[in-house]
Amino acid sequence: MLDIRRISSSRWWHKKKNWIFFGIFLFLIFVRISKGSIYKDLYYFISKPFWPGQFQQEIILNSINQESLIKINLIKKDNTRLRKILSLQDSSIDDAISAAVISRKTGSWWRQIILNKGSRDGVEIGNTVIGPGGLLGRVKNTSLFTSSVTLLTSPESKVAVWIDRIQINGLLVGVGDDYPSLILYSKDTDIKVGDFISSSPASTLLPPNIPIGIVQSIDEQFKAKKTIKVALLAKPNVIDWVQILKLKI
Amino acid sequence: MNKFFEKKFPIVLFIFIPILFLWHPNWIGFQGFQPYWPLFWLLPWSMINGSINGLIFGLFLGLILDSLTLENNFTQIPGLILCGFLFGRIKLHSDILVGHFRYGLICSFGSFLCGTLYFLQIMFKNFSGSTFLLYIPSVQNIVAEVFLTGFFAPLLCSQFMRIIKSSGRKLS
Repeated sequence: MLDIRRISSSRWWHKKKNWIFFGIFLFLIFVRISKGSIYKDLYYFISKPFWPGQFQQEIILNSINQESLIKINLIKKDNTRLRKILSLQDSSIDDAISAAVISRKTGSWWRQIILNKGSRDGVEIGNTVIGPGGLLGRVKNTSLFTSSVTLLTSPESKVAVWIDRIQINGLLVGVGDDYPSLILYSKDTDIKVGDFISSSPASTLLPPNIPIGIVQSIDEQFKAKKTIKVALLAKPNVIDWVQILKLKI
Repeated sequence: MNKFFEKKFPIVLFIFIPILFLWHPNWIGFQGFQPYWPLFWLLPWSMINGSINGLIFGLFLGLILDSLTLENNFTQIPGLILCGFLFGRIKLHSDILVGHFRYGLICSFGSFLCGTLYFLQIMFKNFSGSTFLLYIPSVQNIVAEVFLTGFFAPLLCSQFMRIIKSSGRKLS
């Protein structure tokens, strides 16, 4: 007798619908495990046209700018008040003279710029010259219509500087290349690449807290002191307009 | 008027050297470095007019250029005097092509001499501070100047030589 094998269509795996449900179930497991990242990404694309627009961004940026300006003014007032208490020197931006660079020698040995404002405009020897970025140098010589500025990179330039992070003074010496050297008379100072350097509050030649540069590399060749190469923030080879600050001592 | 101008043209060029030195045209230089301009004039002048003349005009050039730079402690005068004197002892070459390249070589040597003397002054001044080693990277100034001066000299010196010769202003 032949045993006829019964082909039944009632088994669950023969139904396409069940496989679809199984697939959906696996997908939901995946969604659960991925913590809904697919949904979030999908929502990102769907909601994109409805995001806060450029206009709102401008309003927020303006507000932030205003807030920063107010904060800066408050800090300036505080700073001036505290400096008066400590009898430290101060400089005011009201005393600044704007001048154009009419000659520049930023390579080779002679590192100087000549400005189109001279003694006729009130420029005096020793005035500080700043440009976009920070300190450029000091006025070394004036004629009736021009003034000559020794740049920080000049071999004749030596200025006192302040490293704010480690609260220490140093001497910035121009060596005739684009990166002046900072000398710290202490071997154990914890100076790092990227530290910010400004003019020293203790200097009698420069107004305090003018940005100067960033520590680029630290040299260990000397035993008793550290020498550091500094990248200047203000680039004299591209600056066309500067400000001459008249220092009140 | 034209004849007068033609005769005095080398002196007009001499007056323009400090202006060129101040102007510092970036499009001629390389990464802020410039050729050492006074040598382009001093070499043909000294070769035509002799050592003593070269020495005197080297001194004049040095005095003018020192007054334009702010460095009080260092001077360009010794280098320029020495170059003026040495250039005066060099004879003109009959072969034009060789002459052109010779200008390049001589100016490079002159630039090296002036740069080295200036560098030695800086080192000497800072020797007592024991920080003189800091100034060693500035040797790049000498190298750059030597290269640029040698590069432009064949073109400029031969033009200046032609001008000075045609002016007929032979002093010695």
